[in-house]
Amino acid sequence: MSTTIPRRERSKQAARPAGPAKAAASGRHSQRWLAWMFLAPTIVGMGLFTLVPIVASVVLAFFRWDIISAPTFVGFDNFAEVVQDPTVRVSFLNTIVFVVVAVAFQLGLALALAVMVQEKMPSWLRTFFRSAFFFPLILSAASVSIFMRYLFNEQFGVVNWFLSLAGIPAVPWLTTPGGSAAVVILVYVWQNFGFSFLLFIGGLASIPTETYEAASLDGATGWRKHLYVTLPLLSPTTLLASVIAIINALQVFDQPYVLTRGGPGDSTRTAVMVIFESAFQRLEFGQASAIGVILTLIIMAVTAAQFRLSKRFVFYQ
Amino acid sequence: MTGATSGRLREFSRRTALGALGAGIVGATVASWPRLSGTDIPGRGDNSLSIAILGTAADAAARQRAIDAFARLHPDIPVKVQAIQAGDWKDFFTKILTMVAAGTPPDIVYVATEGAQLFADKLAHPLDEYLRRDAADMAEFFDDVHPSLVEAFMYKGSLFQLPMDWNAANMYYNTTAFQQAGLQRPADDWTHLDFRNSLVAMRKARPSDFTPYYWTNRLFGGVVPWLYANDTSFLKETRSTGGDWLWDSFYANDPSRSLRTGGYQWLEPNADDPRVFESFDYLRGLVKDGLGVRPEEGGGGSLVGLFASNRIGTTPAGGYWVQGLHEAGMKENDFDVAFFPKWRTQRHQFGTAGYAIMKTAKDKDAAWEWIKFSASREAMELIFPNPVTTPARRSMVNEALYAGKGPAHWKVFYDTLDKYPTTGPIPAPPQQAAVETALMKNVSLAVSGDERQLKQALDSMQRDLEIALRRQP
Repeated sequence: MSTTIPRRERSKQAARPAGPAKAAASGRHSQRWLAWMFLAPTIVGMGLFTLVPIVASVVLAFFRWDIISAPTFVGFDNFAEVVQDPTVRVSFLNTIVFVVVAVAFQLGLALALAVMVQEKMPSWLRTFFRSAFFFPLILSAASVSIFMRYLFNEQFGVVNWFLSLAGIPAVPWLTTPGGSAAVVILVYVWQNFGFSFLLFIGGLASIPTETYEAASLDGATGWRKHLYVTLPLLSPTTLLASVIAIINALQVFDQPYVLTRGGPGDSTRTAVMVIFESAFQRLEFGQASAIGVILTLIIMAVTAAQFRLSKRFVFYQ
Repeated sequence: MTGATSGRLREFSRRTALGALGAGIVGATVASWPRLSGTDIPGRGDNSLSIAILGTAADAAARQRAIDAFARLHPDIPVKVQAIQAGDWKDFFTKILTMVAAGTPPDIVYVATEGAQLFADKLAHPLDEYLRRDAADMAEFFDDVHPSLVEAFMYKGSLFQLPMDWNAANMYYNTTAFQQAGLQRPADDWTHLDFRNSLVAMRKARPSDFTPYYWTNRLFGGVVPWLYANDTSFLKETRSTGGDWLWDSFYANDPSRSLRTGGYQWLEPNADDPRVFESFDYLRGLVKDGLGVRPEEGGGGSLVGLFASNRIGTTPAGGYWVQGLHEAGMKENDFDVAFFPKWRTQRHQFGTAGYAIMKTAKDKDAAWEWIKFSASREAMELIFPNPVTTPARRSMVNEALYAGKGPAHWKVFYDTLDKYPTTGPIPAPPQQAAVETALMKNVSLAVSGDERQLKQALDSMQRDLEIALRRQP
């Protein structure tokens, strides 16, 4: 008859003669090995699908390559051409305007709705609002944009039909620069404010009720409570939400591509759209990479600026 | 005892969980290896002929019948067809280029006029040697196909594709809307002014929830048919020399033989031509007077439904529309088709499509056999059983194809080529994507404002086209 000894026991027995220090070292070694094993998939994945493409993209920015022929080194030519290209310049300007307007709307709406949902109401209603506000985020941006394109059609869209009931003439939503920009922003904000909303809900829940009680005792009521208590104590959440919102908005593509294809003119053309068009429609992969590098640098600079400013405007409890 | 068992169980379950996780990862990797390594891509990893087409699963039955027929004829050439879904041809070419970039190009690609010169210039292998070799077999095909369609695939004197199907921008009209406005079927040589008068009459008869003229902002069927009718275009059109070997072999006795060349060339922008201004100004007038829509970029997805619901009076489209309207519930007499209105000329615009052999094809001889088979009457009848497009063979555009579906004047489709032999292809140089963007992005602005805005939009278009044509494709 044989007796089965658990493996851990066997390893303990084997380790015993070598002394406690050696056993501890062996344990640390195996723990380190285990840690690397668990980290490996992430490291390999990040390396293959993030780091290598980033490096390749930066290198490609110095080459002219159309997929078909061999790449040729052109130094900084791609960057020079990109800077001189009026379409690229306009698309970056559009992107900046879009970020400012869309992020302001997104955060404002998310905060207002988060505060509203925190007010006294039946729990089922609160659950409904939370789900309803988050729901657009899980939809495909392309599908939503196709759907919205129908809604905002000048001749046959539902939006203009409702406006006509109020005697308002048909609005050329998608065929005028102002209208198309407004629709792109509207659709983007509608679809994305749910994430900021969720962050604000979490942030509001972490504000102690005693602080509001103290403010009430000091005479603060209504919006003053939010101005002097909610906003300052929510500033770390606001920082996080704004960093994420700005990074995402700088990369906007789906909504303008499906809704307006960047038009009319270049009025809704964004930086990422120009990257896509340069690479996959004009086969200028070098120029597309150069635009990508510039956009990445802008995102990094904006994020760094936000964190720097946060030292002055963010209050931690 | 209980404690020991519980400990053993706890230890056992953790190890088992880790083991199961590991085994799961290995199992999933093994199971999905064909996907991870890309060997499940049709034609990859074996010697099959891989063919990429623009299509959906819905077309699979007709496609399979053609593949089976080919297999009976060439059992030694296995074929795998990959139907790639895309919103339009530009999207389709983008996906093909992505496959090229990934090192998995198909052997044969179904290419429309929009991409013909891009492929001819960079990716495709000319068919000249095969046509010379099999001239006797191919004579019957060319006898049945209009030379304008063939010329659209000539590039610098070589032929890169055989036209399989095509569509011209004819004018569809809603017969009920015409009747309500007291209009008769338009004459074959109706003019742009007659057309405008028809729109005015329709607007008068139905002041709301109705658009007399719906058009889209695309390369096909947008502003270009009006430019062609006005004997101009947004690009200067010239022709290459060469190609006589083909015309003399297959079209020596064709009445339009003298018009045929080595292919179209679009090397310079032409948006500053006064006739381009005149054409845009005409469209601007239609928009301003509520007769035509202000077109969205790339719009048209809802067009069949809107037309079938009697909310559109007229729109430019080709034979590809018939099946869609039939499926949307329109009876054969609910709509009809007329020639595009005449202006300085009555030159129409058309687009065609056919198979191109890729330079990288593993077995070009086998690829040619597929193309030759696809051009046969037998294959075309299998592939085009319904009027989802206009077959390139004249003999197939017949009463049987349109029976029970309409339109009454289906002969207009092929007559567009026969009666107007100068009818030309979509202007699509190798830089087509950039050119299309340069056109489309300025159209809405050009037709939406006053004359000053139109001038600015055309100046912008000229500048954008100069940049687009300067670029290598």
